Amino acid sequence: MAAGGALSLPLAFLLPLLTALVVFLLGARRAPWLPGIGALATVAAVADAVRHVAAHGPQAYHLGGWMPPLGVELYADGLAALMLAMTAAVGLAVTAYAGPYLHDGHHHQEAERFWPLWLVQWAALNGTFLAADLFNLYIMLELVTLTAVPLVAITGDRASLGAAMRYLLLALLASLAYLLGVALLYGGTGTLHLRQVGELVGAGGPAAVAAALITAGLLLKGAIFPLHTWLVPAHSNAPAPASAVLSALVVQAGVYLVLRLWLWTFPALLSPAVGWLLGGLGAASVLYGSLQALRQSRLKPVIAYSTVAQLGYPLLLLPLAAVPAAAAQAWQGAAYYIVAHGLAKAGAFLAAGNIRYSLGHDRLAGLRGIAPELSVSVLALGLAFVSLMGLPPTAGFLAKWQLLSGALGGGQWPWAAVIVLGGLLAAGYGLRVLAMALAAAPSDEPVRRPPQRLPRRMVAVPLLLALAVYLLGVSAVPALRLLEQGAPEALG
Amino acid sequence: MIDRAFDLLLIGGMLGLAVQVVASRALFRSVVLFIALGLLMAVVWARLAAPDLALAEAAIGAGLTGALLLAAYRALQPAGEAGDAEPAALPRRWALVAAVLSGALVAAIGWAVLGLEPPAASAGREALARLGESGVKSPITAVLLSFRAVDTLAEVVVLFAAFLGARVVAEPLGRAGPGPRPDPAGGEPVLMPLLLRVTVPMGVLVAGYLLWSGGHQPGGAFQAGAVLAALGVLLRLTGRLQPVAETSPAERLALVGGIVLFSAIGLAGAGMASAVLAYPEGWAYTLILLIETGLTLAIALPLTLLFSGSAGLRWRGR
Amino acid sequence: MTQAGLYTLAASALAGIGVYGLIVRRHLLRRILALNLLGNAVFLLLVALARRHPGYVDPVPHAMVLTGIVVAVSATALALVLARRYYAETGLRHLPEDEG
Repeated sequence: MAAGGALSLPLAFLLPLLTALVVFLLGARRAPWLPGIGALATVAAVADAVRHVAAHGPQAYHLGGWMPPLGVELYADGLAALMLAMTAAVGLAVTAYAGPYLHDGHHHQEAERFWPLWLVQWAALNGTFLAADLFNLYIMLELVTLTAVPLVAITGDRASLGAAMRYLLLALLASLAYLLGVALLYGGTGTLHLRQVGELVGAGGPAAVAAALITAGLLLKGAIFPLHTWLVPAHSNAPAPASAVLSALVVQAGVYLVLRLWLWTFPALLSPAVGWLLGGLGAASVLYGSLQALRQSRLKPVIAYSTVAQLGYPLLLLPLAAVPAAAAQAWQGAAYYIVAHGLAKAGAFLAAGNIRYSLGHDRLAGLRGIAPELSVSVLALGLAFVSLMGLPPTAGFLAKWQLLSGALGGGQWPWAAVIVLGGLLAAGYGLRVLAMALAAAPSDEPVRRPPQRLPRRMVAVPLLLALAVYLLGVSAVPALRLLEQGAPEALG
Repeated sequence: MIDRAFDLLLIGGMLGLAVQVVASRALFRSVVLFIALGLLMAVVWARLAAPDLALAEAAIGAGLTGALLLAAYRALQPAGEAGDAEPAALPRRWALVAAVLSGALVAAIGWAVLGLEPPAASAGREALARLGESGVKSPITAVLLSFRAVDTLAEVVVLFAAFLGARVVAEPLGRAGPGPRPDPAGGEPVLMPLLLRVTVPMGVLVAGYLLWSGGHQPGGAFQAGAVLAALGVLLRLTGRLQPVAETSPAERLALVGGIVLFSAIGLAGAGMASAVLAYPEGWAYTLILLIETGLTLAIALPLTLLFSGSAGLRWRGR
Repeated sequence: MTQAGLYTLAASALAGIGVYGLIVRRHLLRRILALNLLGNAVFLLLVALARRHPGYVDPVPHAMVLTGIVVAVSATALALVLARRYYAETGLRHLPEDEG
């Protein structure tokens, strides 16, 4: 009986959880500093986990000292470490942003409720990235859902309640589809451990049915076309910090698990046809989400549809993974894509939150003339959009470049075409928003109410997130090297 | 032979009830039949050698879920409204699509389970073989609180998160939960006080017994918590417990204390034993009982509050 | 057919009934009932599969179902309170038809 692995793995789950519990116990008003301290402690644990993975390779921590299949393993390879780190960056940013956003006087009750929910969610997200156990993942996924739905509904208006209701019903259906698949897998293999199941499950009929059920559930949670319909109302009606975590983290956890399970648990089932099907759904998400984003008249729905589009890219790895000349680069590109999208999307939603907070609305037509007053927020929004478009020198560019050169190197031109087209469409919706925001105020406009002044921290946070996207674009080597730790054998 | 007939009868009853739950025209009937189905499931669990589940299903699956459903039915069905105001049914072609889809699902799962060979080794077999190392005698308690303790920890957090979420979307106190009670000063059945005087101490006793017995036979924190929650529901319905808008410090402690205790003991395992969520040699039984005591409250109170629809409860007595 | 086999087939039928109900019935309470039917089907499948082993009953699926029952009641409670609040704010007991 030995734990193995770094203690920081369980801490990445337990520290945000304990912070949430203590915040609830004391009340957020009495301990406004506590979420910040918990966030910093979580970041420290994640940093330690990342350091361990980078230095010593993948880490496996056996909870209770019980080895699988008896016990539950936490497992961090380069991919999981990168997800933890991205979540820590977004989590820290959202925690810093939500303080002034919620404690400004008219969000008192929301503040009391936001903090424990968000901190439990952070714990559950870290658990989702770390758990190497199919049933533990089910509980973590439910925990993510049951904290995400109230965050959607927190403003309590009709639109957000309807969006939250739809989201909850579909997410519960997704969880049960997932669990149904897990039941079949356990029935066939006698284990719940991701890689042990992969070794035992084979490619027979029961395995295929289980994989289909699990994948359908995860695609629904990850809002992949055509199961994306719930996302836009949910993400665009939530308050800014909630929108940021929902789009940057919650749905991406679903996509992450699709990759994790297909590459580690079901590689035997990943035939070219299956790869094309999943990649095709990803491509449809890219194109459909981008086209819809072009047609929106409000800022937050543009960003939410862009989420639908961006979630599709990592799935393009699945058809490319079997092509030896494409696999390695596509793997880096897909993983980097999740990170780049997470940071840029959190920055974009928080910047949009500033615009809304300041103007009281987010209609695109009403954005003319805001640039002088909201210069920093517009800059952050612009920088984030540049990464979503995939222009250098951003992390989004690098991710797209790796995916694209993988696809071209392997002679997979249809996927390359999707990547290029998606980038062009993103340029379309991004520039449309920026053109409005940078335009001069129309001269015939009646006198507008002066924008509300933003707390300094709310101005700084989205900009810092956007700058992080540039940093990861310029200096990608550490992250890419991290990804090599425990890269899937299924590639190529 | 008789066994087979009993199984077929149970399955027939279960599927028949499920069809009725979906197909029944009257929503109230669907709700009641669903509760009946829950009770039947409890029999199925007993039949499939799962007495722990039978207890939990009867208390939580049928009992508390039933109470929640009935309260919600009443809230969604204003008094005086004739019949169920249900939205128009979907067009017929949708029903066809649904039938094809669910038929395909049944076929796929049925086909998969028939092709499924039981594995030679399983986590459960190992759990039984190494039961002695867990410190408890009941295999299920060993899985829940030792081998896979993190599942249980996360699951109590799920319940806590549901409570937090329910607070976010809560209705005003007067309408929430089981809704307004008929005039509390007005009479209640004469036997009610007597009944409660017997039921409440009995319930607490049963919960305590279930909690203690979980170490070696069916029972444990889940079942004990469910029985306590059922008592809470009873006291809320009869007005002994009144909903209030604030969670008291004691309630806050009961809600998260068990989870904090579980996490703290789990963390201490990294120093005092081999790993996080491992128990020091010789301490497993004591610590598991301690954790289960905390969890009993962390299960009972949020369930009661979710039924009550309030942030807290105050004793009002009679 | 073995007892376990019989109950696994019953579980797949129950899952089908649940999914059918979820699609065709639009009242929120009915959708929540249908999800619970599906949940019961999954639990039944787990417990039936645990019964197939010669010589022992697998306790791990039992523990999973016990956990699952608590998760299910949590999710159901949240769904019900959300449905009630949605009704209080909109007067609707179903979600408007899907758009885009």
